[in-house]
Amino acid sequence: MPDSPTLHAVIFRIGALVCAAPAGIVREILPRLPATRIPGVAEAIEGLVNVRGSLLTVLDGHVLLQQARREEDEGAIVVVDVAGRRYGLGVGGVIDFLEVPAASVAAQADLPGIDPRLVKAVGVHEGRHFILLDIDALVAPIIGS
Amino acid sequence: MSHTVLVCDDAIFMRTMISDILTQAGFEVVGEAESGSQAVEKYRALKPDLVTMDIVMPDMGGIEAVREICRTDPEAKILMCSAMGQQALVVEAIQAGAKDFVVKPFQPSRVLEAVQRVLG
Amino acid sequence: MDLSKYAALFLAESREHLSSCNQLLLRWEREPSATDAVGGLFRSIHTIKGMGATMGFTGVAELAHRLESLLDALRQGQVAADARTFQLLFRAVDALGVAVEAAGAGRDPAPEASLAAALDDATAGRGADAPAGGLPVLPGDDVPRRRATDRPRGRSVEVIIRSDAVMRGARAVLAVRRAEALGVVSAVRPPLLRLEREEFDGRLAFRIDSRATDEELAAVIRSAGEVVTVRFPEPLAAPAEPADRHRQIRVDLGRLDRLMKQVGELVAARNRLGVLAARFDDPTLAEQSDRISRLVSEMQAEVIAARMTPVGEVFERFPRLVRDLARDLGKRIRFEVEGEEIELDRSILDEIGDPLLHLVRNAADHGIEMPETRVHAGKPAEGRILLSATRERNSVALRVSDDGAGIDRAAIVAKTRRDAPGEPTPDALSDDLLLRLIARPGFSTAQAVSGVSGRGVGVDVAMTRVRALGGTLEIGSEAGKGTTFTIRVPLTLAIVRALLADAGGERYAVPLAYVAETVEFDARAVTALRSREAVVVREQVIPTVHLRDLVACRERPAPMRRPTVILEIGERRTALVVDALLGQQDIVVAPFDAPRGMPPYVGGATILADGAPALVLDAAALL
Repeated sequence: MPDSPTLHAVIFRIGALVCAAPAGIVREILPRLPATRIPGVAEAIEGLVNVRGSLLTVLDGHVLLQQARREEDEGAIVVVDVAGRRYGLGVGGVIDFLEVPAASVAAQADLPGIDPRLVKAVGVHEGRHFILLDIDALVAPIIGS
Repeated sequence: MSHTVLVCDDAIFMRTMISDILTQAGFEVVGEAESGSQAVEKYRALKPDLVTMDIVMPDMGGIEAVREICRTDPEAKILMCSAMGQQALVVEAIQAGAKDFVVKPFQPSRVLEAVQRVLG
Repeated sequence: MDLSKYAALFLAESREHLSSCNQLLLRWEREPSATDAVGGLFRSIHTIKGMGATMGFTGVAELAHRLESLLDALRQGQVAADARTFQLLFRAVDALGVAVEAAGAGRDPAPEASLAAALDDATAGRGADAPAGGLPVLPGDDVPRRRATDRPRGRSVEVIIRSDAVMRGARAVLAVRRAEALGVVSAVRPPLLRLEREEFDGRLAFRIDSRATDEELAAVIRSAGEVVTVRFPEPLAAPAEPADRHRQIRVDLGRLDRLMKQVGELVAARNRLGVLAARFDDPTLAEQSDRISRLVSEMQAEVIAARMTPVGEVFERFPRLVRDLARDLGKRIRFEVEGEEIELDRSILDEIGDPLLHLVRNAADHGIEMPETRVHAGKPAEGRILLSATRERNSVALRVSDDGAGIDRAAIVAKTRRDAPGEPTPDALSDDLLLRLIARPGFSTAQAVSGVSGRGVGVDVAMTRVRALGGTLEIGSEAGKGTTFTIRVPLTLAIVRALLADAGGERYAVPLAYVAETVEFDARAVTALRSREAVVVREQVIPTVHLRDLVACRERPAPMRRPTVILEIGERRTALVVDALLGQQDIVVAPFDAPRGMPPYVGGATILADGAPALVLDAAALL
């Protein structure tokens, strides 16, 4: 299907979930970095990390999606641009970079245990199910006004 | 006929010194003033060929005296006597009509050169 | 000759002159005997006229010429300096400012006809047969009417004053004056204003439009004395500007900002290098690291110094504002300024003008009473507003004080009760609470209430701006005696010396600007102050804040001995109890996207020498 639209996505694991973010908003993937806690803010904000001399606010994907951290995960930070700002999303690990036909991604579906507002779509690629996250909705309640 | 001079300075020491320098060079000091207003008054009365004018004087300052004198006599030949570091005041005096200036401490030769330029 | 490259210089110098014109006018109006002010005004306007004419800005030159004629008549005593004249002078100086800016932007409108006529009418008080101006610096004094594309008329003249002559600048002015006897002089470089200062290297250049021969001109110029050389360079040669090499250059502020930012990063990198070098036991590495450290410190000091600007630059626009306000309000106000020489980082200075403007306007508008009210209260009819700057530790305090009525606390309480009936309001207001009330956004934009009307307009704006700079705003007000607003800002923003404190294993940076001292927390010295915990330090009761409680950190038990940082802003103090002090560091406050709900005591964040991010505490929020 050379002419059909394709979806570029970064696939990562948060707890038991396999999630995806549109590649267009992903700036880079970083290893897990020690974060400095910010007192008084939402629990989903892991803190500040030093990325080559600049500060980055990192959100905790596990808290956001209410997933238990898995022991074997090394951890990674997916750096995304949302509404003109840059945030890190702490995940269990990055799995793959995918290019799938957009047609194979079904519209939003109710999934057990996940707030449906955070899910943009559900897709299948080579037999694996993944959740395309609505990153805007994910960070909206947390980021500054 | 020697040139007549009015010497204006609030310090007797300075007036004496300037008078001595000029007298020895053959000038006739016809009057002395110790304030700006006195200088204006004596200038009108004496009509000297040359005025030496201190900048900072009580009552009326030297610059104002220059302005006052030049108002009635734009051709008045006034030599400003300034201390070091009063450049802005000297410039103002020149704008007001002073024809030349010397800077304290005075060297007789410099004073006489300036006087010659003014009278020249 | 391509004049466009002089345009920026023309604009900058004209602005300087116009600003000084405003100052001089204000002084002259206040002290009619200050005739030196007239001289200064005359010279400034004359210089603008000369520059404008040289640039081919006919509109500027024409207006300046008319204004100059009036000033000349005033100086000669042919026209009386009454209130109407001052009004006209202010109006003309304003119009000249507009004309200069317009010319700088490539337009050159002719002066407004009504203003030109008013100036001419005022000048016409002079009799037709009056002496032809005792000192027209340009004899003949007709404004050369010229298009920007025309070549300036006349010959170029270069004069060199003897290097051992005293007051070479004044000598150069004398040479120009002598030359003016033979023709119209223009394009004097360096400009007269600079000749007055000790920044003149003895090389003077100007143009002269004259029928005299080169020989006659040279002889006249030499008669000024101390002249070594008079030359007449080829008319078509590149513009001679040998005298324009001054020791100061104008630097684009953006460039200094970038330089500052880079030095900031260099400081951070140096800090990290120091930590790394300490890990290796290599004397050569340690030595080089120390050397780099020293060099970076020196460079940082230089860059900060290059950015420091006297606050007078901001202050100087207020006398005029207060004067105009007083006139509009029918009040009599004496405006005084102290500490104009105190220096602040340029970037802070740029931001501080607005808050000060609000506070000064407030003082004039709502602080100072009407003259009759003042007299009735046994005060002098003329009110006083003092704008002052003082250096305090690592910050600068800017104060706006008035000797007006003070703030009517009872009216504020009543108004607050009316606006928010549910909220508890004490009957007596402390200064802190008073400020909090009047700094509420829109506090006074509600309908006017007698006694409080408008008071507080802009205080919320001032407060927000000052806090954004890491500064503080305080108020003190006494009924009948007056009100004082105090703004405190750090000397510089980019690099902050900070104390590192540990709370439960987390590190926080406390800017040293507000640290008065550090003491050991002594449980025996604990007392209570208005039901809050406080400590007694040197017989002073200071409320405490425990950092580990504040940041809700309970990971480790608190140590027995706890250092205490005494924070101080003005008269207010807070004892910040921490787990440990980890030394001092130069930190660069780094930008980051603050998440929602970040507590007010977090003033920013930085990257420490070891590369870990740390939060910077805002002392003002802890007090």
